[in-house]
Amino acid sequence: MSRPARPTRRAAAPLALVALAALGLSACTDKADASANASGGAGGPITVQADDTTCALSATTAKAGTVTFDITNAGTKVNEFYVYAAGDRIVSEVENITPGLKRQLKVEITEPGTFQTACKPGMVGDGIRGDFTVTGTAVAGSADQKVAKAISDYRAFVATESDKLLAGTQEFVAAVKAGDVAKAKQLYPTARLPWETIEPVAESFGDLDPRIDGREGDNPTFSGYHRLEKDLWVSGLQKDSGQVADTLLADVKQIVTKSKGVTPTALTIANGAKALLDEVATGKITGEEERYSHTDLWDFRGNLQGSQSALETLRPVVTERDAALQKALDSRFAELNQLLESHRVDGRFVSYTTLTDADLKALTVSLDALSEEVSKVPAVVETK
Amino acid sequence: MLVSNALIGLREGLEAALVVVILVAFLVKTDRRWALRHVWTGVGAAVALAVVLGAVLTFGTKQLTFEAQELIGGSASIVAVVFVTFMVFWMRSAARTISGELKGKLDRALEMGPLAVALVAFLGVGREGLETAIFFYATTEAAGQGNNQPLLGWVVGLGGAVVLGWLIYRGAVRINLTKFFRYTGVLLVIVAGGILAYGIHDLQEAQFLPGLGALAFDVSAAVPPDSWYGTLLKGIFNFSPATTWLQAIAWVLYVGVVLTLFLRPVPAPVAPAAAPRASVHA
Repeated sequence: MSRPARPTRRAAAPLALVALAALGLSACTDKADASANASGGAGGPITVQADDTTCALSATTAKAGTVTFDITNAGTKVNEFYVYAAGDRIVSEVENITPGLKRQLKVEITEPGTFQTACKPGMVGDGIRGDFTVTGTAVAGSADQKVAKAISDYRAFVATESDKLLAGTQEFVAAVKAGDVAKAKQLYPTARLPWETIEPVAESFGDLDPRIDGREGDNPTFSGYHRLEKDLWVSGLQKDSGQVADTLLADVKQIVTKSKGVTPTALTIANGAKALLDEVATGKITGEEERYSHTDLWDFRGNLQGSQSALETLRPVVTERDAALQKALDSRFAELNQLLESHRVDGRFVSYTTLTDADLKALTVSLDALSEEVSKVPAVVETK
Repeated sequence: MLVSNALIGLREGLEAALVVVILVAFLVKTDRRWALRHVWTGVGAAVALAVVLGAVLTFGTKQLTFEAQELIGGSASIVAVVFVTFMVFWMRSAARTISGELKGKLDRALEMGPLAVALVAFLGVGREGLETAIFFYATTEAAGQGNNQPLLGWVVGLGGAVVLGWLIYRGAVRINLTKFFRYTGVLLVIVAGGILAYGIHDLQEAQFLPGLGALAFDVSAAVPPDSWYGTLLKGIFNFSPATTWLQAIAWVLYVGVVLTLFLRPVPAPVAPAAAPRASVHA
């Protein structure tokens, strides 16, 4: 009949194609073990010899990460290979392993546990099952990148906090030198806040830390923040207060420069996170640190935030190796943060002296619970 | 070794070919060969995508998560069902127009056709393409290691699927137009029901839908999936010998509702008996 060569909307099919391709690629994961297999160890492929009645694995344990199975069908029936998690949840599968064929299955398993493998000759039934155990931490190959990222993230964090410290201290020092006691008092806790977040780094520079943050009696010459704290809250500004302020600023400038040059390891980041919580336990929750100004809760906030930020950079590593721990950390941090924030009035933390015994007890209990989880992190992130 | 590979090739080939074959037969019978190129565009796009993605996944540094693979396959299946359903009813209305001798207006009805035609072809082939492509690379790899039988079997199976598709096509083209619409329509609905059930199974495997372990029936002993008849049933109707409740319910609902709608207002059928009885049964 008639053949009208109509103009057509040719774009439709290619569009659908592109959409599906995009969907496909966005759902991809990295083949994380590309190098790990070559590097050998326990990460090599596990061979599975399957036939119509048997399903023999060369190993029934593997380390967390990408586990590779090379399945060879030596039988006469078409086979399938499955990996199940608890409750028969399919973790992954490969179908259509026909006789004489070798197929590969790569399974990304992040959490340790007991799994099951199954060959299904003839593609029927529950298959020939076997237990399969996944242990501990992921192979080095895939973790290295995450650790490197954590280190660079942490350095960026330290740099940002250092800049804030410098800016805050400059303002504070200016107020002190101008003799504006009220303003200096107002600025004091917030200027110190970044210091408390990066304290583990700052402490690594032996002589500077006591000069900036030493308490009365710690040092032959009492200087730095706490000397100015005493001047502002107790004894009034002294003749040398301006000079002390100048020295403080010079010292802070030095420490800022040095802090930015620090190259931590995953382990030192994790240990630092723990050390910050210990600071809270020994200094802030006791009210010792800010004995004149009683602004301890600000320091508490700084330490807690520093600890949390440090662990945040390690999150991908911890999640990969111990997902349950990361979950526990998240909920403990949330709990303590919420408790601490309840002591803020009009955006500013209340004085330490207004806290009741019950308040302190609640904070201590929550802090201890968090500390216990954080103390597990170093062992998890340590490079094996 | 050769036979089982051939059966897989046959099954995958039939699954991909059936919808396309009926689509082509329809276009040819209604004298719209000019629209055939859209079919081949869709088929070509699906094959190319499958081959490329298969190669990327086999040889590249990326792999698809199991859930993603099942989600793509399952979703594509369900989208394909939607399009095939529309196509069935579109064909029916087109059939009525033909009987009213209004062919001049027909091609306007096909205006949304290029999109639909290409998409149906694309989805019909594409939904099984990825797994087939990966399987194909595995067989060529075996051939590279000196074992040619899997690849040979695969070629024989795909060839068989093409021959079977061709036979279905010849048979469909030979019968008269009213019968053609009736039979292919019913066939398409049942095929689409199978694709729907298959897609649901994929989504169940990906844990997107529940009830993977709740089987409505399991006739694996009577219809082994690796037998030739199990393969044909799977290839043509996507029949799974171990079917979950969700799959079974979806199939019965879909086929029941759509077939009833398809067959209800019969515009004076020439062939009286067989087809309506089948609808009551379904």
